[in-house]
Amino acid sequence: MINLDDNTCPTREQRANGINAFSGKASELIAQAKEGTLRNCERNFQQNSGCLLNFYLTVRVATIKDSVMIIHGPVGCSAPANIYREVYRRLWTGLNRKADFDFHWLTTNLNERDVIYGASDKLRFAIEEAQRRHDPKAIFILTSCASGIIGEDVEGVVGDLQPRIKATIVPIHCEGIRSRIIQTGYDAFWHGILKYLVKEPTKKQPDLINVASMLSYTWQDRQEISRLLGKIGLRANFVPEFASVEDFENLSQAALTAPVCPTYTDYLSRGLEQKFGVPYFLYPSPIGLANTDEWLRTIGRLLNLEKKVEKVIKEERAHWEPRMDRIKSDFAEIKSKNGGSFRIMGSLGQGRLVTQTPFFHELGVSTPVALCQDFDDLLLEDVEQLLKRIGDFDIIVNTFQAAEVAHTARKFDPDMILSCPFQGSAYKREKGMTRIHALRGDGRIWSTQAGYAGAVACGSFLLQATKNRSFQNTMLAKTEDPYKDWWYQQPDPHYYHRKEA
Amino acid sequence: MGLTLVESSPEGLENNPYPEVVEAPRFTCALGGAYGAALAVFGAVPILHSGSGCGMANAHGLTYASGLNSGGTIGPTTTPCSGLIEEHVVFGGEDKLRRLIASTIELMKAELYVVISGCVPALIGDDVDSVVAEFKDQAKVIHVKTSGFIGNGYLGYNMFLDSVIDGLLVKKEKTNKKLVNILGIAPNQHIFWKGELAVIKRLLNSIGLEVNTLFTDFASLKALEAIPEASLNLVLNPWLGLEAAQKLYDRFGTPFEHFGYVPIGPKDTSAFLRRVGKKLKVPSKKIEAVIASEEQHVYRFMEYLTEMFMVAMPHSFTAVIADSRTVISLVRYGANELGWNPELAVVTDDPPLEQREQIQRLITTGLEGTSVPRVLFDYDSHRIRLAMREQPLQVVLGSSLEKYIAKTESEAHHLSVSYPTYDRLVVDRSYAGFRGGIGLLEDMSHSFAGPV
Repeated sequence: MINLDDNTCPTREQRANGINAFSGKASELIAQAKEGTLRNCERNFQQNSGCLLNFYLTVRVATIKDSVMIIHGPVGCSAPANIYREVYRRLWTGLNRKADFDFHWLTTNLNERDVIYGASDKLRFAIEEAQRRHDPKAIFILTSCASGIIGEDVEGVVGDLQPRIKATIVPIHCEGIRSRIIQTGYDAFWHGILKYLVKEPTKKQPDLINVASMLSYTWQDRQEISRLLGKIGLRANFVPEFASVEDFENLSQAALTAPVCPTYTDYLSRGLEQKFGVPYFLYPSPIGLANTDEWLRTIGRLLNLEKKVEKVIKEERAHWEPRMDRIKSDFAEIKSKNGGSFRIMGSLGQGRLVTQTPFFHELGVSTPVALCQDFDDLLLEDVEQLLKRIGDFDIIVNTFQAAEVAHTARKFDPDMILSCPFQGSAYKREKGMTRIHALRGDGRIWSTQAGYAGAVACGSFLLQATKNRSFQNTMLAKTEDPYKDWWYQQPDPHYYHRKEA
Repeated sequence: MGLTLVESSPEGLENNPYPEVVEAPRFTCALGGAYGAALAVFGAVPILHSGSGCGMANAHGLTYASGLNSGGTIGPTTTPCSGLIEEHVVFGGEDKLRRLIASTIELMKAELYVVISGCVPALIGDDVDSVVAEFKDQAKVIHVKTSGFIGNGYLGYNMFLDSVIDGLLVKKEKTNKKLVNILGIAPNQHIFWKGELAVIKRLLNSIGLEVNTLFTDFASLKALEAIPEASLNLVLNPWLGLEAAQKLYDRFGTPFEHFGYVPIGPKDTSAFLRRVGKKLKVPSKKIEAVIASEEQHVYRFMEYLTEMFMVAMPHSFTAVIADSRTVISLVRYGANELGWNPELAVVTDDPPLEQREQIQRLITTGLEGTSVPRVLFDYDSHRIRLAMREQPLQVVLGSSLEKYIAKTESEAHHLSVSYPTYDRLVVDRSYAGFRGGIGLLEDMSHSFAGPV
């Protein structure tokens, strides 16, 4: 139950027993989660992993049209948002991107005086300045560790100012210190959206489907989802990047909220159902042929469009399946150096764990071990189902803990590792890593992952990656590993975990 | 173009109570600047005592923003971080840091560990110095006591140098008469830092001097510890690195030369060599021989680019939007060697107020031609955008924040030369030295496939 009277969401720890420290069999993880014995733990050695604000609300909220984002924090917290005027413009307007990409954001740029005397007046000024400069429809206020620790009364400022400010002010509590689980940041964002921005529906739009996804799904993924929905007479309401404030206001008018990344969308989906009766489903995502079939079928079932959907699936299958079969037969030819099928280790978010793993199996490659950023009860049943389908596997749960990942990679010795592209020197970890995904600003068909086109593009990419790894191998051979040898010689990737939480 | 732009703060900037409330400022925080510097010391491992997102924010907001760079071997997710959350805010973060330093020394190969503390420990009052001191017999560990709210990333570079001086340096019995330290080129924040350090080193080597670049040296700890052996600290920035130079003078008696910027093109590079050479008593014959040979080469090769240049960008009204030293270098090169007319100079690194007159003088004097640029000290991307509209411009040398604005609102050639730069990869490149200007024009020409 989502309580929109509260200033913000509960943390993932509070809401769903979220953890980001586990290693073992997936079956054990599920058993412990069900028994309620799954515990998070403190690490004696820990590495950079992102926070509620910077994974990456800064980058994403800045792209909301007709809005101004205000980061209420020191200047470094908003530094990633400096990308806002530039990268997304590489997307060609022919790709259905809006021509108006003129975005705006401000930082309160907190200084020493502010943290001593408080910065409410400064925040007030920033809101007025945003209104004065740009006359936006919404002003988002994103909080930081510093604003949280000094006890800024953001709601007080908003309550005071809103009557005089034309734009709707949306405070979002994404203080980095709130939670170990970065997904709490997504929930905090959706809480603000649900509480302040989504309007009571004046009408219903029976052909409108809400689709929210991570930055790790590219522009072409949107294109593919739009194409598929279009074939059954539906339209996607994509949020949050590049959406207009009106698109957010109209989330309540949609016929359905459909997932691309289930745990990312979870809070929004539940909130929209609870407050406005918009139905939703969380599984599966349209990744891989079989899951895309099921994604479309679920939409069909919920909207009484089964016949249309079956027709589309048939057409699409006829077009894409032969291509997929060629990729599969190519993969069948590539043997693991240990014999057997080609072995992939995927570094995944929770959402990708349940969506990408079946896709790997569809390709005919095996996944001896999965890396998962965090784990909570929200997807427990889906992971259980996954286990029934593909059998037990090893799983390491950590949020970008590079030493633990390097250890795991060495231990399981897969043929290929797939990871988020922004992991520093991770590309050269044993056997060479390649990227598991590109990012939202990538408009190339090559980088598609969603839907039927994405299954084929992604499968082709993986196949391509097997052909030459001289870059990874050379860099591995010619540059230094940051960890001492003993790290790899001892058996436990969680060597530095403390038993007590 | 989307939303209407109106002048902000009708009272004017002078009466603005919070001029620092801005759109997209051109720097990260002090923690970021110190982190960027520590990552540039090969063999050093930074340890962030901060929230878990500070390193990632600076991966995308500093290293990637500085010419699409990765942080290197110890960058992004490899950097140790205490990842402070609410329970540490309540009970203190010292124990977490203690365990983190111990495990980092145990696990990671390094000659030097650099603890960089951020907002959270500063606000909750962790005694980081005491925790760091506990390790003094185990490894070289220094502490840079930053926070995000204490200042910007440039200040973080100064703070890093300060901690190196206090934590690592001891007076040497002998100094090396030929050794020069380079100060004022901040890793990452000056996006051409790697190339510039290499070019400056080669230049000074060419007149027989030895150079300690401090950063990118494979004998990193040794390089830092050798700072007091130098006979000269050379400050290539109007303000950054000056404090360190003064402190090194006070502590070790090392004189410093305040050149103020990185020279671009033969005129300024020759002046630079003459000035440094004179200071260190290099025979002028040796210097003049280098200058003569390089000049001959550069101007002969410049002839290859003249046709493109005369079609595409002659006499250009120019804006330079960058940190102080980059503005000085490029305004001077454009005005004195290319015949450009500098119209607008926006200094984006928020230099100390007491240095601004000097910076203004360096930007506006010693220029050929009749144009004297309007100088603004501002880092607000909105106000800078408005300022760009106030005069015609054909060349905009700035950050990638100006890329589309230059094209659509000014009809100008644009090249990213300052933070943030998200539209080009910069690894080896720089415009420093005799041949640097040729590189600048090579990089600018791609946006003008010259129609005949």
